[in-house]
Amino acid sequence: MHPDGELETLMVRYQQGDFAAATALVHRLSPQLHRFFAVQFVSRASADDLLQETWLRLHEVRHTYRQGEPVLPWLYAIARHIRVDHYRKAGRTSAREQSLDETPEMPAPRAAPAATLTMEELLAPLPDSQREVVQLLKISGMSLEEVARATSSSVGSVKQKAFRAYEKLRERLGKMGGAS
Amino acid sequence: MRDGEIDDILKKAAQAQPAPDGALLDKIAASIQPNMRPVRPLPPAWVLRFTLMAVCIGIAAAGAAGLGFAGSQAMNSTQKLIFPALIGFITLAAAAWAAETIPGSKRHGAPWNVSCVATFTLFALFRTLFHDHHTEHFVHAGLACLIAGLVNAIPIGLAGWWLLRRGFSVNPKDAAIAAGTLAGLGGILMLELHCPNFQLAHLLVWHTAVVPVSAALAVLLTKLVQVRRAHADAR
Repeated sequence: MHPDGELETLMVRYQQGDFAAATALVHRLSPQLHRFFAVQFVSRASADDLLQETWLRLHEVRHTYRQGEPVLPWLYAIARHIRVDHYRKAGRTSAREQSLDETPEMPAPRAAPAATLTMEELLAPLPDSQREVVQLLKISGMSLEEVARATSSSVGSVKQKAFRAYEKLRERLGKMGGAS
Repeated sequence: MRDGEIDDILKKAAQAQPAPDGALLDKIAASIQPNMRPVRPLPPAWVLRFTLMAVCIGIAAAGAAGLGFAGSQAMNSTQKLIFPALIGFITLAAAAWAAETIPGSKRHGAPWNVSCVATFTLFALFRTLFHDHHTEHFVHAGLACLIAGLVNAIPIGLAGWWLLRRGFSVNPKDAAIAAGTLAGLGGILMLELHCPNFQLAHLLVWHTAVVPVSAALAVLLTKLVQVRRAHADAR
Protein backbone atom coordinates (compact mmCIF):
# COMPACT_ATOMS: atom_id res chain seq x y z
CA MET A 1 0.00 0.00 0.00
CA HIS A 2 1.19 3.55 -0.71
CA PRO A 3 2.54 5.13 2.51
CA ASP A 4 0.04 8.02 2.30
CA GLY A 5 -2.81 5.56 1.76
CA GLU A 6 -1.63 3.59 4.77
CA LEU A 7 -1.62 6.74 6.91
CA GLU A 8 -5.15 7.57 5.77
CA THR A 9 -6.33 4.06 6.66
CA LEU A 10 -4.72 4.32 10.10
CA MET A 11 -6.27 7.75 10.60
CA VAL A 12 -9.75 6.49 9.75
CA ARG A 13 -9.32 3.54 12.14
CA TYR A 14 -8.10 6.00 14.81
CA GLN A 15 -11.29 8.02 14.34
CA GLN A 16 -13.25 4.80 14.76
CA GLY A 17 -11.65 4.29 18.18
CA ASP A 18 -8.96 1.74 17.26
CA PHE A 19 -6.18 2.18 19.85
CA ALA A 20 -3.74 0.01 17.87
CA ALA A 21 -4.08 2.41 14.92
CA ALA A 22 -3.52 5.40 17.23
CA THR A 23 -0.36 3.79 18.65
CA ALA A 24 0.88 2.99 15.14
CA LEU A 25 0.36 6.63 14.10
CA VAL A 26 2.17 7.92 17.20
CA HIS A 27 5.18 5.70 16.49
CA ARG A 28 5.13 6.36 12.76
CA LEU A 29 4.70 10.15 12.74
CA SER A 30 6.41 11.28 15.94
CA PRO A 31 10.02 11.13 14.65
CA GLN A 32 9.28 13.59 11.84
CA LEU A 33 7.18 15.80 14.11
CA HIS A 34 10.01 15.82 16.65
CA ARG A 35 12.45 16.88 13.90
CA PHE A 36 9.98 19.58 12.85
CA PHE A 37 10.15 21.09 16.35
CA ALA A 38 13.85 20.42 16.94
CA VAL A 39 14.93 22.25 13.81
CA GLN A 40 13.35 25.46 15.11
CA PHE A 41 16.12 25.83 17.67
CA VAL A 42 14.20 24.51 20.62
CA SER A 43 15.87 22.28 23.19
CA ARG A 44 15.28 18.54 23.12
CA ALA A 45 13.14 18.83 26.24
CA SER A 46 11.00 21.52 24.59
CA ALA A 47 10.69 19.42 21.43
CA ASP A 48 9.50 16.51 23.60
CA ASP A 49 6.95 18.78 25.31
CA LEU A 50 5.74 20.16 21.98
CA LEU A 51 5.41 16.63 20.61
CA GLN A 52 3.25 15.58 23.57
CA GLU A 53 1.16 18.73 23.36
CA THR A 54 0.66 18.20 19.63
CA TRP A 55 -0.58 14.63 20.10
CA LEU A 56 -2.98 15.72 22.81
CA ARG A 57 -4.39 18.38 20.49
CA LEU A 58 -4.48 16.00 17.51
CA HIS A 59 -6.43 13.60 19.68
CA GLU A 60 -8.91 16.31 20.70
CA VAL A 61 -9.56 17.38 17.11
CA ARG A 62 -9.13 14.05 15.34
CA HIS A 63 -12.68 14.37 14.02
CA THR A 64 -11.52 17.29 11.82
CA TYR A 65 -9.56 14.89 9.60
CA ARG A 66 -11.65 13.95 6.58
CA GLN A 67 -11.32 10.60 4.86
CA GLY A 68 -9.70 10.82 1.43
CA GLU A 69 -7.66 13.90 2.34
CA PRO A 70 -3.88 13.69 2.86
CA VAL A 71 -2.93 13.19 6.52
CA LEU A 72 0.35 15.13 6.63
CA PRO A 73 -1.02 18.64 5.80
CA TRP A 74 -3.68 18.18 8.50
CA LEU A 75 -1.06 16.99 10.99
CA TYR A 76 1.45 19.76 10.27
CA ALA A 77 -1.20 22.50 10.22
CA ILE A 78 -2.00 21.57 13.82
CA ALA A 79 1.69 21.13 14.76
CA ARG A 80 2.46 24.63 13.43
CA HIS A 81 -0.40 26.02 15.49
CA ILE A 82 1.01 24.37 18.63
CA ARG A 83 4.48 25.74 17.85
CA VAL A 84 3.20 29.29 17.32
CA ASP A 85 1.18 29.04 20.52
CA HIS A 86 4.28 27.82 22.35
CA TYR A 87 6.30 30.83 21.13
CA ARG A 88 3.51 33.18 22.12
CA LYS A 89 3.26 31.71 25.62
CA ALA A 90 7.03 31.63 26.00
CA GLY A 91 7.18 35.27 24.90
CA ARG A 92 4.60 36.27 27.49
CA THR A 93 6.32 34.31 30.23
CA SER A 94 9.75 35.75 29.51
CA ALA A 95 8.29 39.26 29.29
CA ARG A 96 6.80 38.80 32.76
CA GLU A 97 9.85 37.19 34.31
CA GLN A 98 12.68 39.29 32.91
CA SER A 99 13.60 41.40 29.95
CA LEU A 100 16.13 39.69 27.77
CA ASP A 101 18.41 41.53 25.45
CA GLU A 102 19.62 38.33 23.90
CA THR A 103 18.16 36.88 20.75
CA PRO A 104 17.20 33.18 20.70
CA GLU A 105 20.22 30.98 20.75
CA MET A 106 21.17 29.79 17.31
CA PRO A 107 23.88 27.30 16.50
CA ALA A 108 27.10 29.09 15.65
CA PRO A 109 28.47 28.34 12.20
CA ARG A 110 31.11 25.67 12.37
CA ALA A 111 34.10 25.39 10.10
CA ALA A 112 33.29 21.81 9.15
CA PRO A 113 32.60 19.93 5.92
CA ALA A 114 28.99 20.44 4.83
CA ALA A 115 28.20 16.74 5.07
CA THR A 116 28.96 16.74 8.81
CA LEU A 117 26.73 19.69 9.73
CA THR A 118 23.64 19.06 11.83
CA MET A 119 20.23 19.97 10.46
CA GLU A 120 20.02 22.98 12.81
CA GLU A 121 23.41 24.25 11.61
CA LEU A 122 22.51 23.73 7.96
CA LEU A 123 19.25 25.61 8.17
CA ALA A 124 20.41 28.28 10.63
CA PRO A 125 20.89 31.05 8.03
CA LEU A 126 17.35 30.68 6.71
CA PRO A 127 14.38 32.69 7.99
CA ASP A 128 11.72 30.65 9.85
CA SER A 129 9.32 30.47 6.92
CA GLN A 130 11.99 29.20 4.46
CA ARG A 131 13.39 26.74 7.01
CA GLU A 132 9.91 25.34 7.54
CA VAL A 133 9.25 24.94 3.81
CA VAL A 134 12.60 23.20 3.19
CA GLN A 135 11.98 20.86 6.07
CA LEU A 136 8.46 19.93 5.01
CA LEU A 137 9.42 19.48 1.36
CA LYS A 138 12.75 17.73 1.68
CA ILE A 139 12.74 16.01 5.05
CA SER A 140 9.07 15.18 5.58
CA GLY A 141 8.73 14.43 1.86
CA MET A 142 5.55 16.41 1.29
CA SER A 143 4.50 17.75 -2.12
CA LEU A 144 4.26 21.48 -2.91
CA GLU A 145 0.47 21.23 -2.70
CA GLU A 146 0.62 19.51 0.70
CA VAL A 147 3.08 22.07 2.09
CA ALA A 148 0.80 24.86 0.84
CA ARG A 149 -2.11 23.27 2.70
CA ALA A 150 -0.11 22.76 5.89
CA THR A 151 1.21 26.33 5.93
CA SER A 152 -2.06 27.99 4.81
CA SER A 153 -0.35 29.52 1.79
CA SER A 154 -0.33 29.14 -1.98
CA VAL A 155 1.76 26.71 -4.04
CA GLY A 156 3.43 29.73 -5.69
CA SER A 157 4.49 31.11 -2.32
CA VAL A 158 5.89 27.71 -1.25
CA LYS A 159 7.85 27.45 -4.51
CA GLN A 160 9.26 30.93 -4.04
CA LYS A 161 10.34 30.23 -0.45
CA ALA A 162 11.96 26.93 -1.46
CA PHE A 163 13.78 28.63 -4.34
CA ARG A 164 15.13 31.39 -2.11
CA ALA A 165 16.11 28.89 0.58
CA TYR A 166 18.04 26.80 -1.94
CA GLU A 167 19.80 29.90 -3.25
CA LYS A 168 21.03 30.65 0.28
CA LEU A 169 21.95 27.02 0.99
CA ARG A 170 23.80 26.75 -2.34
CA GLU A 171 25.76 29.90 -1.55
CA ARG A 172 26.60 28.73 1.97
CA LEU A 173 27.51 25.19 1.04
CA GLY A 174 29.49 26.42 -1.97
CA LYS A 175 31.62 28.57 0.34
CA MET A 176 32.21 25.57 2.58
CA GLY A 177 33.48 23.48 -0.29
CA GLY A 178 30.38 21.47 -1.09
CA ALA A 179 29.66 18.04 0.19
CA SER A 180 33.29 17.21 0.73
CA MET B 1 26.25 22.92 -6.33
CA ARG B 2 23.19 21.19 -7.76
CA ASP B 3 19.81 20.88 -6.00
CA GLY B 4 20.23 17.08 -5.80
CA GLU B 5 23.48 17.48 -3.85
CA ILE B 6 21.79 19.86 -1.40
CA ASP B 7 18.94 17.35 -1.03
CA ASP B 8 21.47 14.61 -0.17
CA ILE B 9 23.16 16.78 2.47
CA LEU B 10 19.78 17.65 4.01
CA LYS B 11 18.70 13.99 4.07
CA LYS B 12 21.96 12.91 5.73
CA ALA B 13 21.57 15.64 8.35
CA ALA B 14 17.95 14.61 8.96
CA GLN B 15 18.93 10.96 9.44
CA ALA B 16 21.56 12.02 11.98
CA GLN B 17 18.97 13.85 14.11
CA PRO B 18 18.11 12.06 17.35
CA ALA B 19 14.69 10.42 17.36
CA PRO B 20 12.31 10.81 20.31
CA ASP B 21 12.63 8.16 23.02
CA GLY B 22 10.50 5.06 22.64
CA ALA B 23 9.39 5.57 26.25
CA LEU B 24 8.08 9.02 25.36
CA LEU B 25 6.07 7.61 22.46
CA ASP B 26 4.62 4.91 24.71
CA LYS B 27 3.71 7.61 27.25
CA ILE B 28 1.96 9.64 24.53
CA ALA B 29 0.02 6.61 23.33
CA ALA B 30 -0.94 5.77 26.93
CA SER B 31 -2.10 9.35 27.55
CA ILE B 32 -4.67 9.19 24.74
CA GLN B 33 -5.89 5.67 25.54
CA PRO B 34 -8.40 6.67 28.28
CA ASN B 35 -10.28 8.95 25.83
CA MET B 36 -10.24 6.48 22.98
CA ARG B 37 -13.73 6.39 21.55
CA PRO B 38 -15.14 6.63 18.03
CA VAL B 39 -15.66 10.17 16.75
CA ARG B 40 -17.89 11.42 13.96
CA PRO B 41 -15.75 13.13 11.29
CA LEU B 42 -16.69 16.59 10.05
CA PRO B 43 -18.99 16.61 7.04
CA PRO B 44 -17.34 17.18 3.62
CA ALA B 45 -16.21 20.75 2.95
CA TRP B 46 -18.83 21.25 0.21
CA VAL B 47 -21.64 20.47 2.70
CA LEU B 48 -20.27 23.09 5.12
CA ARG B 49 -19.88 25.63 2.29
CA PHE B 50 -23.38 25.05 0.96
CA THR B 51 -24.96 25.22 4.44
CA LEU B 52 -23.11 28.45 5.26
CA MET B 53 -24.27 29.99 1.97
CA ALA B 54 -27.86 28.91 2.57
CA VAL B 55 -27.81 30.31 6.11
CA CYS B 56 -26.32 33.62 4.97
CA ILE B 57 -28.78 34.10 2.10
CA GLY B 58 -31.72 32.86 4.21
CA ILE B 59 -31.03 35.26 7.10
CA ALA B 60 -30.49 38.18 4.69
CA ALA B 61 -33.77 37.40 2.91
CA ALA B 62 -35.59 37.02 6.23
CA GLY B 63 -34.20 40.38 7.39
CA ALA B 64 -35.34 42.04 4.16
CA ALA B 65 -38.73 40.34 4.39
CA GLY B 66 -39.19 41.90 7.83
CA LEU B 67 -38.30 45.39 6.56
CA GLY B 68 -39.78 45.10 3.06
CA PHE B 69 -38.30 44.47 -0.40
CA ALA B 70 -38.46 48.11 -1.48
CA GLY B 71 -34.88 48.09 -2.76
CA SER B 72 -35.06 45.14 -5.15
CA GLN B 73 -38.48 46.25 -6.39
CA ALA B 74 -37.18 49.71 -7.28
CA MET B 75 -34.12 48.42 -9.17
CA ASN B 76 -34.06 48.13 -12.95
CA SER B 77 -32.86 44.89 -14.56
CA THR B 78 -29.27 46.14 -14.98
CA GLN B 79 -29.02 47.24 -11.35
CA LYS B 80 -30.17 43.78 -10.29
CA LEU B 81 -26.75 42.50 -11.48
CA ILE B 82 -25.59 43.38 -7.98
CA PHE B 83 -27.35 40.22 -6.71
CA PRO B 84 -25.40 37.59 -8.72
CA ALA B 85 -22.21 39.41 -7.74
CA LEU B 86 -23.18 39.26 -4.08
CA ILE B 87 -24.09 35.56 -4.33
CA GLY B 88 -20.70 34.90 -5.97
CA PHE B 89 -18.81 36.61 -3.16
CA ILE B 90 -20.97 34.86 -0.54
CA THR B 91 -19.91 31.54 -2.15
CA LEU B 92 -16.23 32.55 -1.94
CA ALA B 93 -16.49 33.77 1.65
CA ALA B 94 -18.37 30.63 2.74
CA ALA B 95 -15.65 28.48 1.13
CA ALA B 96 -12.95 30.53 2.87
CA TRP B 97 -14.61 30.24 6.29
CA ALA B 98 -15.21 26.48 5.95
CA ALA B 99 -11.58 25.98 4.85
CA GLU B 100 -10.31 27.97 7.84
CA THR B 101 -12.01 25.61 10.30
CA ILE B 102 -10.58 22.40 8.79
CA PRO B 103 -6.81 22.10 9.39
CA GLY B 104 -4.79 21.42 6.24
CA SER B 105 -7.61 22.42 3.88
CA LYS B 106 -6.95 23.58 0.37
CA ARG B 107 -7.21 27.36 0.26
CA HIS B 108 -8.31 29.30 -2.79
CA GLY B 109 -6.84 32.53 -1.44
CA ALA B 110 -6.35 34.20 1.90
CA PRO B 111 -9.62 35.39 3.53
CA TRP B 112 -8.44 39.00 3.53
CA ASN B 113 -8.08 38.70 -0.26
CA VAL B 114 -11.74 37.67 -0.51
CA SER B 115 -12.69 40.58 1.76
CA CYS B 116 -10.71 43.16 -0.25
CA VAL B 117 -11.77 41.85 -3.67
CA ALA B 118 -15.44 41.78 -2.58
CA THR B 119 -15.26 45.32 -1.18
CA PHE B 120 -13.55 46.83 -4.23
CA THR B 121 -15.67 44.94 -6.76
CA LEU B 122 -18.91 45.96 -5.03
CA PHE B 123 -17.63 49.55 -4.94
CA ALA B 124 -16.94 49.40 -8.70
CA LEU B 125 -20.30 47.76 -9.43
CA PHE B 126 -22.23 50.39 -7.46
CA ARG B 127 -20.27 53.08 -9.33
CA THR B 128 -21.17 51.47 -12.67
CA LEU B 129 -24.80 50.50 -12.08
CA PHE B 130 -26.19 53.44 -10.09
CA HIS B 131 -26.24 57.01 -11.37
CA ASP B 132 -28.14 59.13 -8.84
CA HIS B 133 -25.58 61.74 -7.83
CA HIS B 134 -27.86 63.57 -5.37
CA THR B 135 -26.83 63.47 -1.72
CA GLU B 136 -29.43 63.97 0.99
CA HIS B 137 -29.24 62.99 4.67
CA PHE B 138 -25.88 61.42 3.88
CA VAL B 139 -24.76 60.67 7.43
CA HIS B 140 -28.16 60.11 9.03
CA ALA B 141 -29.51 57.71 6.35
CA GLY B 142 -26.07 56.15 5.90
CA LEU B 143 -25.56 55.31 9.55
CA ALA B 144 -29.02 53.73 9.66
CA CYS B 145 -28.09 51.46 6.73
CA LEU B 146 -24.64 50.60 8.15
CA ILE B 147 -26.17 49.67 11.50
CA ALA B 148 -28.99 47.67 9.86
CA GLY B 149 -26.42 45.79 7.74
CA LEU B 150 -24.25 45.03 10.77
CA VAL B 151 -27.23 43.99 12.89
CA ASN B 152 -28.22 41.58 10.11
CA ALA B 153 -24.63 40.29 10.04
CA ILE B 154 -24.75 39.26 13.73
CA PRO B 155 -27.17 36.29 13.34
CA ILE B 156 -25.26 35.15 10.24
CA GLY B 157 -22.00 35.16 12.20
CA LEU B 158 -23.58 33.36 15.15
CA ALA B 159 -25.31 30.75 12.98
CA GLY B 160 -22.08 30.13 11.04
CA TRP B 161 -20.10 29.82 14.27
CA TRP B 162 -22.63 27.27 15.54
CA LEU B 163 -22.47 25.29 12.28
CA LEU B 164 -18.67 25.19 12.36
CA ARG B 165 -18.34 24.74 16.14
CA ARG B 166 -16.78 21.25 15.74
CA GLY B 167 -14.07 22.62 13.46
CA PHE B 168 -10.64 23.73 14.61
CA SER B 169 -9.06 26.91 13.34
CA VAL B 170 -5.27 26.99 13.21
CA ASN B 171 -5.39 30.68 12.16
CA PRO B 172 -8.11 32.30 14.31
CA LYS B 173 -7.51 35.75 12.80
CA ASP B 174 -8.01 34.47 9.23
CA ALA B 175 -11.11 32.55 10.30
CA ALA B 176 -12.46 35.77 11.85
CA ILE B 177 -11.85 37.73 8.64
CA ALA B 178 -13.67 35.05 6.62
CA ALA B 179 -16.54 34.97 9.12
CA GLY B 180 -16.85 38.76 9.23
CA THR B 181 -16.72 38.98 5.44
CA LEU B 182 -19.47 36.40 4.97
CA ALA B 183 -21.65 38.03 7.62
CA GLY B 184 -21.02 41.48 6.12
CA LEU B 185 -21.93 40.26 2.63
CA GLY B 186 -25.18 38.91 4.09
CA GLY B 187 -25.72 42.39 5.58
CA ILE B 188 -25.23 44.05 2.18
CA LEU B 189 -27.54 41.53 0.51
CA MET B 190 -30.26 42.47 3.02
CA LEU B 191 -29.63 46.19 2.35
CA GLU B 192 -29.84 45.75 -1.43
CA LEU B 193 -33.11 43.88 -1.07
CA HIS B 194 -34.54 46.45 1.33
CA CYS B 195 -32.97 49.91 0.89
CA PRO B 196 -34.58 52.05 -1.85
CA ASN B 197 -32.01 54.84 -1.43
CA PHE B 198 -30.00 54.63 -4.68
CA GLN B 199 -27.92 57.77 -4.16
CA LEU B 200 -24.46 56.82 -5.37
CA ALA B 201 -22.55 58.30 -2.43
CA HIS B 202 -24.83 56.48 0.00
CA LEU B 203 -24.24 53.12 -1.70
CA LEU B 204 -20.49 53.63 -2.18
CA VAL B 205 -19.81 54.61 1.41
CA TRP B 206 -22.42 53.11 3.71
CA HIS B 207 -23.49 49.92 1.95
CA THR B 208 -19.97 48.91 0.87
CA ALA B 209 -18.62 49.67 4.36
CA VAL B 210 -20.62 46.81 5.89
CA VAL B 211 -18.10 44.18 4.69
CA PRO B 212 -14.84 45.73 5.98
CA VAL B 213 -16.46 46.94 9.22
CA SER B 214 -17.96 43.51 9.86
CA ALA B 215 -14.61 41.80 9.14
CA ALA B 216 -12.77 44.25 11.41
CA LEU B 217 -15.29 43.72 14.24
CA ALA B 218 -14.93 39.94 13.90
CA VAL B 219 -11.13 40.21 14.15
CA LEU B 220 -11.44 42.51 17.17
CA LEU B 221 -13.82 40.10 18.88
CA THR B 222 -11.49 37.16 18.22
CA LYS B 223 -8.56 39.14 19.59
CA LEU B 224 -10.51 39.95 22.75
CA VAL B 225 -11.39 36.29 23.24
CA GLN B 226 -7.72 35.31 22.73
CA VAL B 227 -6.53 37.92 25.25
CA ARG B 228 -9.07 36.71 27.82
CA ARG B 229 -7.99 33.10 27.27
CA ALA B 230 -4.32 34.09 27.62
CA HIS B 231 -5.07 35.80 30.93
CA ALA B 232 -7.03 32.78 32.10
CA ASP B 233 -4.11 30.47 31.13
CA ALA B 234 -1.64 32.71 32.94
CA ARG B 235 -3.58 32.48 36.21
